Amino acid sequence: MAEIYVIVGTGAAGMAAAERIRLYKKDATVIMMSIDEHSHSRCMLHKFLGGERTEEELSFVEPDFFEKNEIHWGKAQKALGLDIQNKRIQMENGYQPYDKLLIATGSVFGIPPINHFRTASNVYGFRDLSDAQKIDAAVKAKNAKHAFIVGSGLVGLDVATGLMERGVKVTIAEMAPRVMPLQTDDIAAKAYQERFEAHGARFLLGIGASDSIINDQNEITAVVLSTGETVACDFVICAAGVRPNIAWLEGSGLETERGIKVDGHMRTSAPDVYAAGDVTALAGVWPNAMDMGRVAASNMCGVDTEYTDRYCMKNTSNFFGLQMLTIGDINAQVEGADIYVKESRNCYKKAIVKDGVLKSVLIQGDISHTGHWQYLIKNEINLSEILKRKEIFDITYGDFFETDDIGEYQYKN
Amino acid sequence: MKRIMIDPSKCDGCKNCALACMDSHRMDGGNGVVTLNFTLPETEARNEILNDGKGGYLPMFCRHCSVPGCANSCMSGALKKDMETGHVMYDEKRCGACFMCVMNCPYGIPKPSADGTKILKCDFCNERPEGPACVAACPKQAIWVEEV
Repeated sequence: MAEIYVIVGTGAAGMAAAERIRLYKKDATVIMMSIDEHSHSRCMLHKFLGGERTEEELSFVEPDFFEKNEIHWGKAQKALGLDIQNKRIQMENGYQPYDKLLIATGSVFGIPPINHFRTASNVYGFRDLSDAQKIDAAVKAKNAKHAFIVGSGLVGLDVATGLMERGVKVTIAEMAPRVMPLQTDDIAAKAYQERFEAHGARFLLGIGASDSIINDQNEITAVVLSTGETVACDFVICAAGVRPNIAWLEGSGLETERGIKVDGHMRTSAPDVYAAGDVTALAGVWPNAMDMGRVAASNMCGVDTEYTDRYCMKNTSNFFGLQMLTIGDINAQVEGADIYVKESRNCYKKAIVKDGVLKSVLIQGDISHTGHWQYLIKNEINLSEILKRKEIFDITYGDFFETDDIGEYQYKN
Repeated sequence: MKRIMIDPSKCDGCKNCALACMDSHRMDGGNGVVTLNFTLPETEARNEILNDGKGGYLPMFCRHCSVPGCANSCMSGALKKDMETGHVMYDEKRCGACFMCVMNCPYGIPKPSADGTKILKCDFCNERPEGPACVAACPKQAIWVEEV
């Protein structure tokens, strides 16, 4: 009988794993489960909300991915529990046995402990397509004019652009003193803030929500701020952080910490059970999720592979035509570090260097030819010699240029 | 797969490859540098020649890597390594312009378009039978196509 490979989750990690399993195991039975009915890229949910793309257009694989790879796909299926002893997973419609299992159930959004936020009927997240569909329906049903967003990270700003596209006015509350606090410093944040405000957004920086007012239909109609001010809204969106989706594993005996505990091969504490992506809490960015998925899949197929490229403090953003790349903590207080800043009309650059090693970098404006920064930071390349002859922001891959015998680039030592 | 091989010691920085790339990707239907509008943002070259600081030049051309950092970071499915040709192809219609590929190529090859709505990268001149335009235009044979 063909071996049964089961993948729970059709996000970045799950899909990358499925493709890899099919590559190695032509005859295995591959089964995928997802709570959504569409496999979608959650990084593009705002394009659905804004009306730019349909549900189908959010897919990051070819329309015939499942047929072509002969993958059975259980749509709209929620995983309820894991039975390690009998090697089966409990789904809403029964048990699914597995020979090898990959858990790639991602993360879930958190709702801050503010009065009514966890019980009201019009508080949404922005994580799954179903979240975006709920917001879409709420906008339509109520002809919504005003949304209150908690959190100004990438997700908060994404959902804000989607809503603004629809003519919904947004108020964004951010506990930190600047927008996108993990990726920006004050100067870079200001540039984004101004662009959002020019399009009608209102930011409440360093101000939290402290209470809310509900109507008799259990809907929040206004949010009360820590300053006492009351902001009326048609609904609330929580974009203030996510946590690994592991609640359904409670009682299974699978070892968890913040996420599912895995070793360097993405193996969990249970035999033949692997985990990849956000659910491991190792990284929350797309490239790493896909990497973890491929590593897990390779090991599931008996091809020994280790997850080594773990650096994950990296992101790019692109709002209102302003691009930004941030690698590392750009606000780090590093004793004895050199801070380099370069500003021009269209570009802002900042780098933190300690003992010749780049710790973090921010480029806002033109982000062409910036791929080398991640390599230099995560590999802790010493730049002291290069810095004697050129300015830091003039460093390119060219300073390390070398080709191997099949013509691929590599970094010269 | 076919790869554009590079011998930097032969490059004298003439940038004929860049012009050929622009000409090959122009949108106005014409061809030949005589009628090429050098200033149109949409005909920007996908390759680049860097100065090595020692009087030499470094041709920067997409390697269509065996492990492509760009495609491995793509959240829209726009960038994909074609299993038959081995080339990393880009579907502009799928692209979400998130620029994770720009960040994830260790060599800094894919870049945002001038209007910030997509990226620009080598498409091997869409596998045209005569090979990529840049290679044909190089007077020094500093770049050539090889099966690797």
